[in-house]
Amino acid sequence: MLTVTEKIIFIVLTVACLGASFFTFTKMFRVIGLGKDPIDWKKVAQNWKVGVDTFISQKTLFKTRPVVGFIHALVAWGFSLYLFVNIIDVLYGLIPNFKFLPNHFLGDIYRISVDIFSVLVLLGVIYFLARRFVLKDKRLQISAPVMISNSALKGMRFDSLLVGSFILVHVGSRFLSASFEIAGSHSDWSQPAANLVSKIWIGMDHDTILVMEHITWWLALGLILLFLPYFPYSKHAHLFMGPINIMAAEKRKSMATLEKIDFEDDNIEQFGAAQIQHLPQAQLLDGYACIQCSRCQDACPAYETGKELSPSALEINKRYFFNENLDILAKGESVDKALTDWMLTEEAAWSCTTCGYCVEVCPVGNEPMVDILRARQDLVMMESKFPEEAMETFEKMENYGNPWGLSPQDREAWMDGYGVPLMREKKKVDVLYWAGCSGAYDNRGKEISQSVADILNKAEIDYGCLGNEEMCTGDSARRIGNEYLFQTMAEQNRETFDQYEFKKIVTQCPHCFSTLKNDYAEMGIELDVVHHSQFIDELIQENKIEPQPWVDEDVTFHDPCYLGRHNNEYDAPRSVLQSVLREGKIKEMEKAKSESFCCGAGGGNMWYEIKTGERINQNRVKQAVSTKANTVAAACNFCNIMLEDGVKTTQNEENIKVLDIAEMVSQSLSE
Amino acid sequence: MKIAVLVKQVPGSESALPLNNYQNWIEESSVTFVMNPPDNYALEEALLIKERLDEGEVVIVSMGPDRVQKVIREGLAKGADRGIHIKESPEIVKDPLLIAKSFTTVLKEENFDLVLSGLQSDDTGMGQTGVLIGEMLGASTATLAIETRLEGDHIKVKRELEAGWFQWVQLPLPASISIQSGLNTPRYPSLKGIMGAKKKVIKCISSDLASKQAQTIDKIFIPQTSKQTEVIEADVDVAVSRIVEILKSEIKVF
Repeated sequence: MLTVTEKIIFIVLTVACLGASFFTFTKMFRVIGLGKDPIDWKKVAQNWKVGVDTFISQKTLFKTRPVVGFIHALVAWGFSLYLFVNIIDVLYGLIPNFKFLPNHFLGDIYRISVDIFSVLVLLGVIYFLARRFVLKDKRLQISAPVMISNSALKGMRFDSLLVGSFILVHVGSRFLSASFEIAGSHSDWSQPAANLVSKIWIGMDHDTILVMEHITWWLALGLILLFLPYFPYSKHAHLFMGPINIMAAEKRKSMATLEKIDFEDDNIEQFGAAQIQHLPQAQLLDGYACIQCSRCQDACPAYETGKELSPSALEINKRYFFNENLDILAKGESVDKALTDWMLTEEAAWSCTTCGYCVEVCPVGNEPMVDILRARQDLVMMESKFPEEAMETFEKMENYGNPWGLSPQDREAWMDGYGVPLMREKKKVDVLYWAGCSGAYDNRGKEISQSVADILNKAEIDYGCLGNEEMCTGDSARRIGNEYLFQTMAEQNRETFDQYEFKKIVTQCPHCFSTLKNDYAEMGIELDVVHHSQFIDELIQENKIEPQPWVDEDVTFHDPCYLGRHNNEYDAPRSVLQSVLREGKIKEMEKAKSESFCCGAGGGNMWYEIKTGERINQNRVKQAVSTKANTVAAACNFCNIMLEDGVKTTQNEENIKVLDIAEMVSQSLSE
Repeated sequence: MKIAVLVKQVPGSESALPLNNYQNWIEESSVTFVMNPPDNYALEEALLIKERLDEGEVVIVSMGPDRVQKVIREGLAKGADRGIHIKESPEIVKDPLLIAKSFTTVLKEENFDLVLSGLQSDDTGMGQTGVLIGEMLGASTATLAIETRLEGDHIKVKRELEAGWFQWVQLPLPASISIQSGLNTPRYPSLKGIMGAKKKVIKCISSDLASKQAQTIDKIFIPQTSKQTEVIEADVDVAVSRIVEILKSEIKVF
């Protein structure tokens, strides 16, 4: 089809643009190489199936926003089909009279799918552009008071417009080109849409149609070539970087369980991340994988309540920081700027409740929460810069072994009259019941502990409590970034565990649960830990207890982050709850299970308060109230405290009450 | 600038405080010991002075049994340069004159420019150590400092007086100053500090002044609580005026 001159121009352009693109890509990978903990590219390559599977199935897109996810899938599938189409079209341009399997049913299938997908991609992209620029979907925007760099703000709009228009013009021209080809030859039933459009060109003279065919061919394929050098700079690079990022995912015991820091290693001079080069390579890759969809901030408790944090802004800032400093970073030099000056503010870092929503929903496997945890480690251990109340918490944990700062001698006070056996007397048991600090000191927590003890007694479990020998697991310390304090506490608890024999630990607090199960395993302390919801559920299944249903009013269940997202347990607490319902039903909140909304206490936020914006617990209580349920059931001491406070401070005491599932079960067991 | 900070280890405010068998002190085995909070402010003030001058040495001096090394290390982690541990039996820690004498012996040798201490200890709360030491060292002395300004060879100290009054005094160095709580925000040790503290030196000095003790504690006890209920049986007017009278003269709410 093409003339000789056109062919030469095309080939020269192809080589030049591919070269430029490749050059930028190598730079990007050198930027990634600046990080610590090198990515094992061999392993990543071996993981190819995961990447291909994610790309083809588009399954990570459907975790939230299913409609948009579906449209994205259409665009993605259509676009990949277009990679093949482009090759065929290039051959068509270069080889005279080339047609792909003209009289073969495979050729027909090819043409018909290209035709249909062209229309779908066009509609999809028009929708996406309209959503961003006309409808101005709030979910794509990052609102104040989040810090977002100027280059990111400008770049985001420009990038979206450019990428959107590129797809529009590329696919559109290709589609028109097909219609001109049909108009120039004869109608083609295997390209119904193009066939239809070709009717418009009836009456055009043959030469004009030929010129139009050339123009649209160049618009479709020449544009691809011109876009290639820009491609790596744009967020469109997520097409490769997304799947690669998923393939390169770091394996963690749970989403907030970072690797153990070896404090004996004198070679480590930097703990946590102060600057970009202190982040692991896999997390630098996150910046390139991000497509700026901002799904991560949809139910981010900090962002939704108007705080300075947006996990999306974090990754976007990262990306534009790379773009701005590409040449310096690619040389392997660092830029002397603190993460808290450009990636997220210090207050944003402290606003994170480590609820894990951002990590859970990210379609390309980014982990903004982990960046935050690493930034906190630096702020705490290197710079001693953190909320003042957190300092008091550390000191209380150091001095009294619990974040409440109450006497370690008072840990057994809740046991009075509940016949709770103690490990120091029994020495050997089946089940070690870990009441936790809140279960020992907080008034509501104590009642929950008493309920659990009641259930254990009635199920005739051979169990024991550590009582005054128990000590905080160090959860809050670890999430706030005080790894050193966490390890000190873990070591002390290890010594206590070593004195006794037990098969299993039952906890009522998901924070204790996750920390003992995952973070202690990271420390080399292997324990079999279950949450009370799982244990009680087991007791019911095995008929060791028989709850008498008594709840006649509707109940909504608030998923604790460290039970749900962090440990994938959504069913056990619901099953337990079901066992006590008589007339009442479970009414789910809009944000439930893996999309649940944090109570506001996680990540150490229990101990300090970020005053910007609305209070998270009040927001969550309003969500619970809107279900019209009369009870919000919780399965975490922190959640219980936060929700109860939220109920009181939003004047909802008449509308809803907060109960732990253990309390509901205990109440259902006859004497 | 050579600054000594006197740091005492005391039972934590939330610690269990069981009485010992003689009822003259607490049973220490089940007590959680912490750095005396006012001393923490004194330490912070010393560190701030050193940082402002960008030179000098901060030395933690503590007295008591071996367990007090914990608070010395804590101070070293926060940035003090070295520690001195005066090994002394716990009994002496209740006689302020002996405490001051014991400290003075050590402090004299070191020739400090500044001796800072918390205004009082949270256990016995006598508030005399800093003053007595100032006297014994022949140094100038100020108490209840809420702000310090080092100017050449003297120091200006803002003191808190009664009823919302303040006073600026100027003292020549060397000086012994007791620090009021709340004048600064004590820091949390960085990891570098904690690691570095392990390599810092704590000099142990034995001293046995226990036998010379002049002041001893006879008995300590937990205040007895008692309930007093007054039932007002009268008609409304009389009852109300009685209640108003109680509020006025006994509870003093007006």
